[in-house]
Amino acid sequence: MAKLDLIDIRKTYPKSDLETLKGINISIEPGEFLILVGPSGCGKSTLMNTIAGLEDISSGEIRINDVDVSGLAPKDRDIAMVFQSYALYPNMTVRENMAFGLKIRKTPTTEIDAEIKRVSELLQIDHLLDRKPSQLSGGQQQRVAMGRALARRPKLYLFDEPLSNLDAKLRVEMRTEVKKLHQRLGTTIVYVTHDQIEAMTLADRIAVMKAGEVQQLGSPYEIYNHPTNMFVAGFMGSPSMNFVPITVLENSDGHACTELTGSDGKAQLLALPDKLKTYVGKKLMLGLRPEHISQQLSHHSETDLISAARFNIEILEPTGPETIAQITINDHAVHCRLAPDLSITAGQDLDLMIDVSKASFFDPDSERNILL
Amino acid sequence: MHSSSTSQGDNGLGRWLIYGVLALMALVYLLPLFVMLVTSFKTGTDIRTGSLISLPQEWVTDSWQAAWGTACTGVTCDGIKGYFWNSIKMVVPAVLISTFIGAFNGYVISKWRFKGSDLFFSLMLFGCFLPFQLVLLPMAAMLGKLGLANTTTGLVLVHVIYGVAFTTLFFRNYYINVPDELVKAAKLDGAGFFTIFWAILLPISKPIIMVTIIWQFTSIWNDFLFGVVYSGADSQPITVALNNLVNTSTGVKAYNVDMAAAIIAALPTLLVYFVAGKYFVRGLTAGSVKG
Repeated sequence: MAKLDLIDIRKTYPKSDLETLKGINISIEPGEFLILVGPSGCGKSTLMNTIAGLEDISSGEIRINDVDVSGLAPKDRDIAMVFQSYALYPNMTVRENMAFGLKIRKTPTTEIDAEIKRVSELLQIDHLLDRKPSQLSGGQQQRVAMGRALARRPKLYLFDEPLSNLDAKLRVEMRTEVKKLHQRLGTTIVYVTHDQIEAMTLADRIAVMKAGEVQQLGSPYEIYNHPTNMFVAGFMGSPSMNFVPITVLENSDGHACTELTGSDGKAQLLALPDKLKTYVGKKLMLGLRPEHISQQLSHHSETDLISAARFNIEILEPTGPETIAQITINDHAVHCRLAPDLSITAGQDLDLMIDVSKASFFDPDSERNILL
Repeated sequence: MHSSSTSQGDNGLGRWLIYGVLALMALVYLLPLFVMLVTSFKTGTDIRTGSLISLPQEWVTDSWQAAWGTACTGVTCDGIKGYFWNSIKMVVPAVLISTFIGAFNGYVISKWRFKGSDLFFSLMLFGCFLPFQLVLLPMAAMLGKLGLANTTTGLVLVHVIYGVAFTTLFFRNYYINVPDELVKAAKLDGAGFFTIFWAILLPISKPIIMVTIIWQFTSIWNDFLFGVVYSGADSQPITVALNNLVNTSTGVKAYNVDMAAAIIAALPTLLVYFVAGKYFVRGLTAGSVKG
C-alpha cells in the first residue's frame, strides 16, 4: 500500500502546440481507489502512462510514498498495470505469465510457486494455470491479467479501462469482482475508465477530466450531487442531467421562483431556493436530474422546494425498473423518471413533481455551479 | 425444377472445363521439370536417338554420379559436390545472421522508436530497391580493404548486408502489428530491452522467421552475380559451378549431366519450401497476435 502524489503534472507531446496535461494535482491516500474518468482524448490514459513511467512528463512531480519517481524507469517504480487488451504474453502459459515479473526480480522459485498459488486461488483461475492465453475466454484473460498484477505485490495498481473489452453481462460481474478484490486487499488503485457507471460504483474518489484538466475531484456522492460545472454534471449520470435555461423571479411572498413553459406555451411557477434571491432578474441554467422530476407521489407532500406542474408527455421509454419520459420545458427537451406501472400513453398530460432541493444552478456563461 | 437441373448441369460442365484448363496449365508448367528429370536418367546415346520427352530406354544414374563427383567445371573435374558444400557454408550463416539482424532491427524500429527512426526505416527500405550491379564495385573495394576478397566470409558479409534491408522490412511489418501494450506490460514487469526481445517478441515470431528464412535461403542460394564476382576458386557457390559445368565443352555435350547438376543445385530450395512452405503464406498474411 502506498501513497501517490501527483504534483502539477504537465505534458506536451513533441511536435504539438497543445498541452495534453495542464497541471494535474491529485493526492491519493494509501488504500484508496481513485478513478480517472472523462471522454476520449481528455488525457486520462496519458496521465496513467506517466504514472507508470511509460511516458515522460514535461514538468511536475510524481511521488510514491513521498519519493519522487518521475525520473525512474517503469521497472523501478514498483507499479503493476492491467491493460484494456490484457496484454498477456501469448507464448507463455498462465503460470508463466504470472511468474514472469517475479522471475525477473529474482524471486526464489518456492516463493513464486506460493505466490501463484495464492493469487490463482484468490481469482479462481487455479485450474487454468497450464493453458495459453489463446485458450481462455475474455473474462478468464481478464482475471489472469489481474493475477499477473497481483502476483508481484506492487506498491500501486493501475487499471487502464480493464473491463471495456468484455460484454455487458461479464463487465458487471467483473466490476463486482474488482470491488470485492479492493475491499479484501485494500490496495492503492488508480483506475481509468470512460464508463461513468464504473466510476460511480467502484471509486472512493473520482477525478473527472476534460481537455487535460481535472474538472472535479471528489467522492461519487459529491460528483453526482454537487457537480462543480456543467461538464461534470452532464458527464456523470444516465440519462444525463437536464439543463433548462431559466430567469430568476421573485414572487409576491418575496421568495425566489421561476417560470417554466411547457410545449403548450403555458407558464407555471417553480419555487427556487432562497439562496438564489441575489440572482433575481438574471438568467441561470437549472440542472435537474431525471429522478428529480417524477409523477405525483402521495408520501411527498408539497414542500417549499417541491413544486407540482403539468406537462405533456411526448415520448415514453420503458426500461423495466422505470420509465423515462420526455417533456419540453422552456424549449428544451427534458427527461424524467417515472414509475414503470403508471398507466399513461405518449401525448397525454401528466401532473409531475419537480424537486429542486437537489437541483444544481449554473452560470450560463462560465458554466460553473453558482451554489458551490 | 427444369431450370435448376440445367444450371446444375452447367455448373458441372463449367467445373470440368476449369479443372481441364488448370490441369493443362499444370502440365505445361511441369514439362521442363519432366524433361530435366527424364534426361538426367538417360544415357548419352539415348538422348541422341530418342525424343526430348520420351522416357529413357534404360534408367541409369551415371549422370547423377558424374554431376556430383566427376564432371569437369572449368579446369578441375571433381563434379559439383565441393561447390554444393561451398554454397551450404555460405547460405547457412548468411541466412541466420541476416534473419537475426532483421528481427532485431524490426524490434527496435517498431517498438523503441527513436528520433529519426522513421527516416532510418525509409532508408533501409530503399536498400530493397538497389540493383545488385550498383553495389558491385564499391563492395569489391570494401571486401579488398577488409581482406575478405575471394573468401566465403566475404560472400556471407555481402549477402547479409544486402539481405538485411528485406529481413528488416519483414520483421518490422510483423512487429508493428504486435500490440504495444505487450511491451509496456513487460516493461512494468521489469523486463529490459533485451529480455523483451528474447522472452516476448522472438518466441511469437515463428511465422515471420519462416518467411524470412525461405526468402533469404532462396535468394542467396540462387544468387549468381555476387557469387561469380566475389568468390575465389575454392569458395565458388554452386550456381557458379553449374554455369562452369554447362559451359565446359570437352567433346560431346553431356545434357544428362547438365540436367542432373541443375536438379541437384535446385534441390535445397525445393526442400526448404516443402518443409517450411506452409508457414510462408501464413506468415505473410497473419500479422497480429491476438492474446
